[in-house]
Amino acid sequence: MLSTMRTAKTLAALSVIALLAACGKSDPNSPGVEYMPDMYRSPAIEAYVDYGQDPYYHTEEKARTQRDRVTARKPVPGTIAFNEDAGMAMLNAPYPFPNTPEGYEAAGAELKSPIAMTQATVDNGKAIYEKFCMHCHGATGQGDGPVVNNGKYPPPGAYNGPLKDLPEGKIFHSLHWGKNVAMGSHASQLSKEERWHVTHYVQFLQNGGKMTREPEAQAAM
Amino acid sequence: MPLPACLSRRSKGSIRSTLALFLSLSLTAAHAQPADAAQYAAGEKLFKGNCASCHKVDTKMTGPALKGAKAKWEGKGDLYAWVKNSQAYLKTGNEMATAIWEEYKPVVMTPVSLTNEEIDAVFYFVENYAPPAPPPPPPGEETASGDTGSNNWLWLLVLALLFLVVGLSLSGVKRSLANAVNEAEGKGPLPESTRMQRFRAWAWDHKVFMSFVGLFLTVWVILNLWDAAWVIGVYGGDEVPHYKPEQPILFNHTLHAGKADKGNLAINCQYCHSSAEKSKHAGIPSTNVCMNCHKAVNAGRTEAGTKEIQKIYKHAGWDPEKGAYTGKEEPVRWVKVHNLPDHAYFNHAQHVAVGKIECQTCHGPIDEQMDVAEQWSPLTMGWCIDCHNKTEVKMAGNGYYDEVMARLNNDAKLGHEELKKYLEDDKISVKELGGWECAKCHY
Repeated sequence: MLSTMRTAKTLAALSVIALLAACGKSDPNSPGVEYMPDMYRSPAIEAYVDYGQDPYYHTEEKARTQRDRVTARKPVPGTIAFNEDAGMAMLNAPYPFPNTPEGYEAAGAELKSPIAMTQATVDNGKAIYEKFCMHCHGATGQGDGPVVNNGKYPPPGAYNGPLKDLPEGKIFHSLHWGKNVAMGSHASQLSKEERWHVTHYVQFLQNGGKMTREPEAQAAM
Repeated sequence: MPLPACLSRRSKGSIRSTLALFLSLSLTAAHAQPADAAQYAAGEKLFKGNCASCHKVDTKMTGPALKGAKAKWEGKGDLYAWVKNSQAYLKTGNEMATAIWEEYKPVVMTPVSLTNEEIDAVFYFVENYAPPAPPPPPPGEETASGDTGSNNWLWLLVLALLFLVVGLSLSGVKRSLANAVNEAEGKGPLPESTRMQRFRAWAWDHKVFMSFVGLFLTVWVILNLWDAAWVIGVYGGDEVPHYKPEQPILFNHTLHAGKADKGNLAINCQYCHSSAEKSKHAGIPSTNVCMNCHKAVNAGRTEAGTKEIQKIYKHAGWDPEKGAYTGKEEPVRWVKVHNLPDHAYFNHAQHVAVGKIECQTCHGPIDEQMDVAEQWSPLTMGWCIDCHNKTEVKMAGNGYYDEVMARLNNDAKLGHEELKKYLEDDKISVKELGGWECAKCHY
């Protein structure tokens, strides 16, 4: 009788120690314990949640369907973004120039910025440029960003060099469809308005950091 | 040089020595300087400025590889005219030109305004091209692992057990010695009793000491349990090991977003997580964002890196041989790292676009020391409201708060004491604008 009691006590002590030891260690791959999953998990579908981990609201079958589907996607082709402002809504109309050399040339000849280039659009364009373009095109558009320098990436032309006279339509076209192999399309990351702002900033860089081109340069064109 | 996370800490040493060997080998290769260094340098500059966007020296990209082009054209046509304006030269019906156009159309080569001498310089550079030496691995890469600290108490436990064993055997020795003495003096042996009985008798004799020990032990256990309770369900912060799940593609944050002066690519976080300032979620990029660069970058800095890039191609449905999409996409099952419970609402746009908080404030030095993304911050409510209390709202030039600011100033002039006190230290914290209201985050 006494010995059973003692064994029970020893076992209890050992299990407490084991429990404490288990708390101290942790598997970096384990998302941890979830007590009260009804407060952790949303009954409505939330982005980036694997519903297979959630037996509370969803079945394994549903989770399997979810896992086999690409969730991070581009909008359906032809999607037109909603905008309350009628002027801005026009910007979101489908882009008319196809992704071909002819489309590129046509955009260069016909496409003009629907937004006037102002200090505000250039400033916003600069902020966007620093997030989306600078790592390849460089801080001043010389084509010397860290991806080119450290990553041996094919360098883009300098805005004050080979690309000095690139018209705004071609700049926008390249942002929309990408250019050659080295530059991909940025249409999924930037709205049309943002792309025009970046275009304005690129023109600002083409002008050597000025809003308009120097008079003698204009005469030379 | 950042190492991919799949390498265990142990294997780093051997890789390092291999790297060093490789480095010294490639350095000697790079030292094989071409005869005419000035021509080479001039050609390199022209090549980078005018050709490198579409041509590589030894592999084809948008256009053909340039190495060997000069020999190929020898006696078959006018290379200079072809380079200067390919479309015009194509009209002459040259066979070589037509063959190249058939292979690479419909991409038109932009006419290049270079002189014949400059084109010669470019081809001199191309023919004598020696790849530059890889950047030396930055010093201080080896970071101490944080595991040692948590093992301390285990060692203490082992030590305590050792002392216990020694103590018990000593008491056994003492007892047999006492018995031996008793026997020698003609007394009977000590009364038969178990260790526990003897311990109880001893403890009864040292009541005060034992109650102190008991009190100490009880308090110690309670304190430890209290501490442990605070980190239940916490997987970031200073107290616990961070949640650091293995991802289906071993994306290296340090390499992509790290500082340029350390040999990294310094891509802005928002290039990939572009919805961080527009939406509740920072967003995992769709594979087309990866492909913006990885159409051209098909080899990593290490063999393991190249393998990971192949995985992107598989998921994006990209055929690197043909240079075209197959249309067969496969979802990448990224593992979510920061799991905020549903009863707490968090919005990235509010913090990034309005609050102008740096990503690193919450996500830690993800651009400096995280080959694998991990949960840096504890994401506890205490952590949230602590920051809401301390952080000063960036009011100036922030359109979002213009109205709030105007009203606060106006109301303060009217003498509303409650509002006045917000402004008296010229500092408006998130808390003062309602950042501690329950319904801000819980609704």
